[in-house]
Amino acid sequence: MSTTALINHYATNRATTASAWLKSWLLTVDHKRIAILYLISINVFFLLGGLAASIVRLELVTPQGDLMSADMYNRMFTLHGVIMVFFFLIPGIPSVLGNFLIPLMIGARDLAFPKLNLLSWYLYMGGGLFALCAAVFGGVDTGWTFYTPFSTSYSNSNVVLTIAGAFVMGFSSILTGLNFIITIHKMRAPGLTWFRLPLFIWAHYATSLIQILATPVVAIALLLVLVERVWHIGVFDPAIGGDPVLYQHLFWFYSHPAVYIMILPAMGVISELIATFSRRRIFGYEFVAFSSIAIAILGFLVWGHHMYVSSQSVYSGLVFGFITMLVAIPSAIKVFNWTATLYKGSISYRTPMLYALGFIGLFIIGGLTGIFLSVVAVDIHVTDTYFVVAHFHYVMVGGTMMAYLGGIHYWWPKMTGRMYNEAWGTISALVVFVGFNLTFFPQFIMGYLGMPRRYHVYPQEFQIYHVMSTAGSTILGIGFVIPLVYLLLSLRYGRLAGDDPWDAPGLEWRTSSPPPTFNFETQPIVTEEAYAFQPEAAHL
Amino acid sequence: MANAHDTGHQGGHDREGNYGHISVRTYWVVFGALMALMVLTVAAWYTQKHFVHLPEIVAVGIAVSIAIAKTTLIIYFFMHVKVSSKLTQIFAVSAFVWLMILFVIVMGDYMARGWPPAKGPLSQVPVPISAAL
Repeated sequence: MSTTALINHYATNRATTASAWLKSWLLTVDHKRIAILYLISINVFFLLGGLAASIVRLELVTPQGDLMSADMYNRMFTLHGVIMVFFFLIPGIPSVLGNFLIPLMIGARDLAFPKLNLLSWYLYMGGGLFALCAAVFGGVDTGWTFYTPFSTSYSNSNVVLTIAGAFVMGFSSILTGLNFIITIHKMRAPGLTWFRLPLFIWAHYATSLIQILATPVVAIALLLVLVERVWHIGVFDPAIGGDPVLYQHLFWFYSHPAVYIMILPAMGVISELIATFSRRRIFGYEFVAFSSIAIAILGFLVWGHHMYVSSQSVYSGLVFGFITMLVAIPSAIKVFNWTATLYKGSISYRTPMLYALGFIGLFIIGGLTGIFLSVVAVDIHVTDTYFVVAHFHYVMVGGTMMAYLGGIHYWWPKMTGRMYNEAWGTISALVVFVGFNLTFFPQFIMGYLGMPRRYHVYPQEFQIYHVMSTAGSTILGIGFVIPLVYLLLSLRYGRLAGDDPWDAPGLEWRTSSPPPTFNFETQPIVTEEAYAFQPEAAHL
Repeated sequence: MANAHDTGHQGGHDREGNYGHISVRTYWVVFGALMALMVLTVAAWYTQKHFVHLPEIVAVGIAVSIAIAKTTLIIYFFMHVKVSSKLTQIFAVSAFVWLMILFVIVMGDYMARGWPPAKGPLSQVPVPISAAL
C-alpha cells in the first residue's frame, strides 16, 4: 500500500459513531492502538489473577480449611497461576510496552507486519477466552504446570479447555516475537546501528528469540497432553506406556526460558529508567546488551533444575545446577552496571525511578535465592515449599511487575499525552514495595522451616507467617489499585505532558505525545549513541 | 540522539533484495525425491518387519534419518530457504540447533539414569510386610 493510500485508509477510519469508533479499535493495525488493546486486556487478566490470589491468601489466614474445600483450593491457585503466567507475565511487557515503543524507539512507522500484530492480539484474547471458560465451567486443578499423568489420566477438571487456552496464546507469543525480530532487523532508522540501540530494544530482541525458539516446544507438549487425555495414546502416563519425566523435560524446556521472557523485557525497561533518572549513559552498555543475549542462550540450558526430584539422572542434575549458576553472571553484570550507572549520576527520585530501584533490590533477593536453589542438595530440601514460592515471586512480581509499573509510569505521558499525579505515584511505589516484601519475605522463612506449597490446611506453627503474608498481600493489592485510579484520572485531569517530559534523549521522545499514526512527521536520522544526555539539561 | 530530516519515510525501510528464484523443474525433482524417500520409509519398515530384524535403535535411527532428509528438502526448497537472505538461513538453522539441544540433553538424562548404582538403606528392595512378620 502506498503512503498516500495508507493515509487515506486511516482518514476513513476516523470514527463518527460509536460503532465506527469500536470498529476503528478492533480492526486497527496501528501498533500503538494494539498496545493499548493489550494494556487493557492484560490488566483485566491481572485483576482476575490477583483476585484468585487474594482468595488463596484469605483461605490461608487460618490453619483450617474454612473458606473452601481442598479441591476448590487446588482450582483457585491453578487459576491464579495460569492467568498470571500465561496471560499477564509472559505477554505483559513485550505486548504492551514493546508493541508501543519498539517502532518509536527505532524510528519506524509501525512493526514489520501490522496485521500479524493484530492477529496476535486476537489469538491472545482467544486463548484467554478458553482459559476463562475453563474457570467458569469449574476450573482446573492441575497447577499451571499441567504435570502428567495427573493432567492426562486422573484430573476431573477442565484440563482440555485450559490447555487449549495456553496453546492458542502461545501462537500469539510466537507471532509477536517474530514481528519484533524482523522489525528490529529491517526497520531501524538510518544511522541507528546495533550499538546505538536502546537497551530496551536489545532486551526485546533477546526475548523474541526465546519466544520463537521455545514456545513451539511447549505447544507440542501441551498437544501431546491433549492426545493422551482425549485418545488415551500413551505418551506420558506410565500406565499406558508413557513417561511422565519426558513431559517435565518438554514443559520446562519452554517454561524455564519463559521466566526470561518475563524478566528480560523488564531488565530492558529498567535500563531505560536508570539511564533517564540518573542522566547517565548506562555503564558498560555493550556488556549489558550482550548479557541479555547470554541470558537468553543460557536460559535454554538450565531447565532440569526444576526436576531434581523427578528421578532425573544425578549427573544431569549436577550439570543443570552448574549451568544454572552461570546465569548469575550475566544477571549480575546488569545489576552491577545499573549500580555503576547510578554512581555520580544526577539522580531524581521520580515514580518510575522508585519502581526501578525497587526492582533492583527485589531482583537481587530473587536472583540470589535462585543460586541457593540451583544447588541440588539445598533444592531437594526446599522443593515444593514456600521457599520456592517466595523465590519465583521475587523474580516475577518483584522483578517483572515492578518494571511493568515503572515502565507504564515512565511512558504514560507518551502514550496518553498526560502527566499523572507525582505524589500519588510516589505513594503507590512505596506501598507496592512494602506490601510486596511483607507478602513474600515471610514465605522464605516458613518455606525453609518446611511449609509445603499447594496445601490449604497446615500446622499451627506456620500461621503467623501466613497472617503476615496475607496482610502484606492486602497492602500490595491497595498498591496496585492506587495507580489504576490516578492513571485513569490523569486521562481527564492530568496536565499536558509535552513531547519530552523527562528530557530523555530516545527517539520516542522526539515525536508528539501521543504520537501521530505514522509516529514521526519526518524520518529521523540517528547521529549519536543511545543515552546521549546533555549535561545542561540535568535539571529534573 | 537524532536529527529530523525530511526524507519522506524512506530510510531504513528497504528490504534486502537477494530473493532468488527456484525453477519449476527443481520443484518437480524435489517432489520426486520426497516420493522416493517415502517409498524408502515404507521399504525400510517392511524389511525390518519381514526380513531383517534390526535392533530397535538402528531401525528408529534409519526412520529418523529418512525423515530428516525429507524435512531438509522441504525447508530448503519448498520453503525457499535456499534463496532467502543469510539472516533467514541463520534463523532456520538455529531452530534446529535448539531442537538438538533439547534432544541431546534429554537423551543425556535418559542414558545416565541409574549412574552410579544407588547405595544405602533407601536403595534396598522393600521387604513385604507379610514376609517381615
